[in-house]
This record gives sequence, structure tokens and C-alpha cells, in this order.
Amino acid sequence: MTAPATTDSEYDDDLPAAPDQGGRAPASRYGVLTLAIMLVVGLLLGYAGGLLTPRLTRPGDASVEAGFARDMTTHHAQAVEMSLIAYRSATLPEVRQIAVDIATGQQGEIGAMQTWLREWGLSPTGSKPPMAWMSDGATVKDGLMPGMATPAQMTALRDARGIEIDRQFLTLMYNHHLGGIHMIDAALDETDNAEVVRVAQTMKATQQTELNNLRQLQAQAAKG
Amino acid sequence: MSISTPGGPERRPSVVSTGKKPAAGRPASGAKAGSGKPAGSPRAGGKGPRKPVTPVKVSQGRAWGPIALFVAVGVLVAGIIGYGAWASFQGSKPWDKRANAIDGISNIRKSDPESLKYESHKSGPLTYKYSPPVGGVHNAAWQNCMGDVYDAPIASEHAVHSLEHGAVWITYRPDLPKDQVDKLAGKVRGVEKMLMSPYEGLDKPISLQAWGYQLKVDNADDSRIDEFIKDLRVNASVEGPTALCNTGITATGTTPRELQQQQQPPTQ
Repeated sequence: MTAPATTDSEYDDDLPAAPDQGGRAPASRYGVLTLAIMLVVGLLLGYAGGLLTPRLTRPGDASVEAGFARDMTTHHAQAVEMSLIAYRSATLPEVRQIAVDIATGQQGEIGAMQTWLREWGLSPTGSKPPMAWMSDGATVKDGLMPGMATPAQMTALRDARGIEIDRQFLTLMYNHHLGGIHMIDAALDETDNAEVVRVAQTMKATQQTELNNLRQLQAQAAKG
Repeated sequence: MSISTPGGPERRPSVVSTGKKPAAGRPASGAKAGSGKPAGSPRAGGKGPRKPVTPVKVSQGRAWGPIALFVAVGVLVAGIIGYGAWASFQGSKPWDKRANAIDGISNIRKSDPESLKYESHKSGPLTYKYSPPVGGVHNAAWQNCMGDVYDAPIASEHAVHSLEHGAVWITYRPDLPKDQVDKLAGKVRGVEKMLMSPYEGLDKPISLQAWGYQLKVDNADDSRIDEFIKDLRVNASVEGPTALCNTGITATGTTPRELQQQQQPPTQ
């Protein structure tokens, strides 16, 4: 493009051709303008698309993901409660150890699930009854999801003394994890949300390992 | 490249075409001598006065179409963005906006924020401005709010601490018919960050409390009860969604309790 200079005389000779060239000059100026507008419009469209896409694709109020986040929060919350009772009062140090591990782990997961709901612009409380997101229609009895302890069982755990705390806790937590894994499986079957899948898989793996440890401790606690 | 073939007519068109836009260059053509100068200089002032005249018309005719089109598309884009923004604000209206829209709700956070302030936990019986209380100073111990349904009155000094942790506290007049009590209990049992108890001296049959919010209704079928819970449970927490509702006081009685020494020192 950087052509060598030309002599003036040569250039002057070209002048007659100038109108021809000049006729294109403003047009290409508008060409640049057009290009600029196209760019701006394209950017705006892209921006609008980027703005709307997550809004349109993120889980809604009645979604499996939202149901899972809400109900697993409730489910976890009771596990934390019984674990903290065991951590404070159980007899076997191994029981108190696994109890505090479960309590802090699940409380952390509650935080993650509550953050999802906030990011999805959803309330921690759903409009539908608990477990409505599960297609296999797991039953909710007295507001209790699968594996959850009844108020009477919780009271009994609080009132128990000595090794009896360990035994009750181990039984309750074993059933609690079984119910939890059932709910996790239902969510994994029905969601393709990468973050939900990742967290649910971690939950399941953790609870499966803990089931084995709880069973081992049950044998130990049975001996007293 | 620039030094090659310094002369010759075959090179000329390129000179002209590069020079056409900034044609306002310099007409002082005499300054340029020979082909010695490589870059920069090609834009010799070849512009004559006739240039602007004819092209203007042509370009006008050409450009209006695209401009109109792009303006139209621009308006469309602005519309899409505008709708997106509007929908997002409507769709996920903040919880406090939704709560404020509940008919008959009292927003004490707004009307009387001073009553909610406190410096630190205070033990023993405390007095409250609102009945039932909706916030402010409280005991160190909180009432267990893991979906607990208490069948007797509880200490406000503990319940207010539960409110601080994001619980919704349902209170009802002790003479509320049993079927209505059961209906309320169905909204509480098994749901963490919920608790319920009878309350003496209520001016309405049922009163719902969250930190800084209160709603009084006449019966358990009122649809605003569910709205209140949906908008304020957990959301109204002063300490975020993970503040505890377990390890609280599970006993009833309106006299506040002190936190107890661990009854059972672990034996290991």
C-alpha cells in the first residue's frame, strides 16, 4: 500500500480520472459507517443474547434443581442437628468424630445449595409441597422426607444418655443417609446442570462411604 | 516493496487509489522530488474542486437503505435488551419487595429500625415493644427452630434469637380451634427455619413473625400465610442462610433459660 512516491507531473496527468475515483470515496465512507453500525448492532445482539441466555436456561421455581436444592437443604439440616447432638454427647470418640464431620460437611453443602437458589433468583421456600420435583413420587409423611427422623425420635435422641446416644444416632443417621442417597439419585436422573450433578455426585460418594463407617461403628456401639 | 519499481505507469493506479481518501493531502506537489521517498508521501494532493460535487448525490442514494435497516435493527435490539432487563427485574424481584407487597404486613425494619438494634446478647427476661416481638435484643440461647411445633408458650427472649437466624415464628391465640392449629402445624413440622407456639394476649387469632416483619391474620386458611413464609423464611435472616436453628432450647415456658453446662462431659 505504501507505494513509492510519484512525480507530480505523473499525478497531475491522472486528474481526469479523479471524479471516477471520487465517486467511490464517499460510498466507502458510508461503507465504513455501515460496517461500524453492523459491528455495534452485532455486539448489542450478542450482549442481549448473553444477558438473556442464562436467564432463560437457569433452573426455574418448579425445576428439579430448585426442588433438590430446597429439599436437600431441609434433609441436611436434620442430619446436622442429630450430628451435633452426637458430637456433644455421644460416648465413643469415633462416633463424635464422624458426627462432627457429617455436621460440618453437610452444613457446608447447605450453603452451596442456598447459594444456587440465590443465584437463580429463587426463594429458599418453594411454592410446591416438598418432594414434588421427584417423579417417582416419594411420600412425605408429616413433612418428613425419606430417611428423616420423626420429632419423637429426635426427642428420644436428645433425652438419651450414655452409649444409648451413640446407638440411636448411628441408627438414625444410617437411615437418614439411605433416604438422602435415594433423593440424590432422583436428582441425578433428572438434571443435566453440571454444577448440580457435580455436587450431587460428591454428596452421594461421601454418604456411601459414611454408611460403611456408620455400620462399622454400629457393631462397636452394640458391644457398648 | 516500496522501493521497487519506482517509476512506470503500471504503478500509478495504486498510488491514486491509496491517495483518494485522504485526498486533502497536500496540493504542494512541487516539494516531492523523484522516487527517492518511500512511504508516506504517496498521497499527493490530487484533489480538484470537482470531486465532492458529483459523488455526494450518489452516496446519499446508496446509504439511506442500509441506515434505515440498521436503525430498525438497532431499535429491535434495544427492545430485546429492554425486555430482558424488565423481565429480569420483574421475575426475580428481591424478597423484601415481594414481602412488602403482602397486604397488611408490618415492615418494622422500615417503620421502626431503632427497635431492632442491640449491642450484644442479654440474659434474663427482656421487654419488647411489639407483641409478639419481631426483633431486637435477645438471649444468647435461641429457641430450636427445626420445624418445632411447641404446644405451650415459649420465651420471646429465645424466639427473637431464632428470628435473627432466619426463622419464621408462627404464633396463635391459645383458643384457636384445633383444626386451624393443625393446619398451621402442617406448614411448620419438618421444615427447618420454622417454629410455632401459642401466645397469650394476641390481638388477632394468628400472628407471623420474621426479623423486622409481622403479619396478623384471622384464620389459618389465609393465603398470605404461605406468601409470608415463602418470601421471608431464611431470606429475613440477619446472619445468612446457614445460621443454625438446631442446638437451641427445646423446652417450653415463657421464662428464659440460661445456657446450661454440658450435662454429660464426654467420657473417653
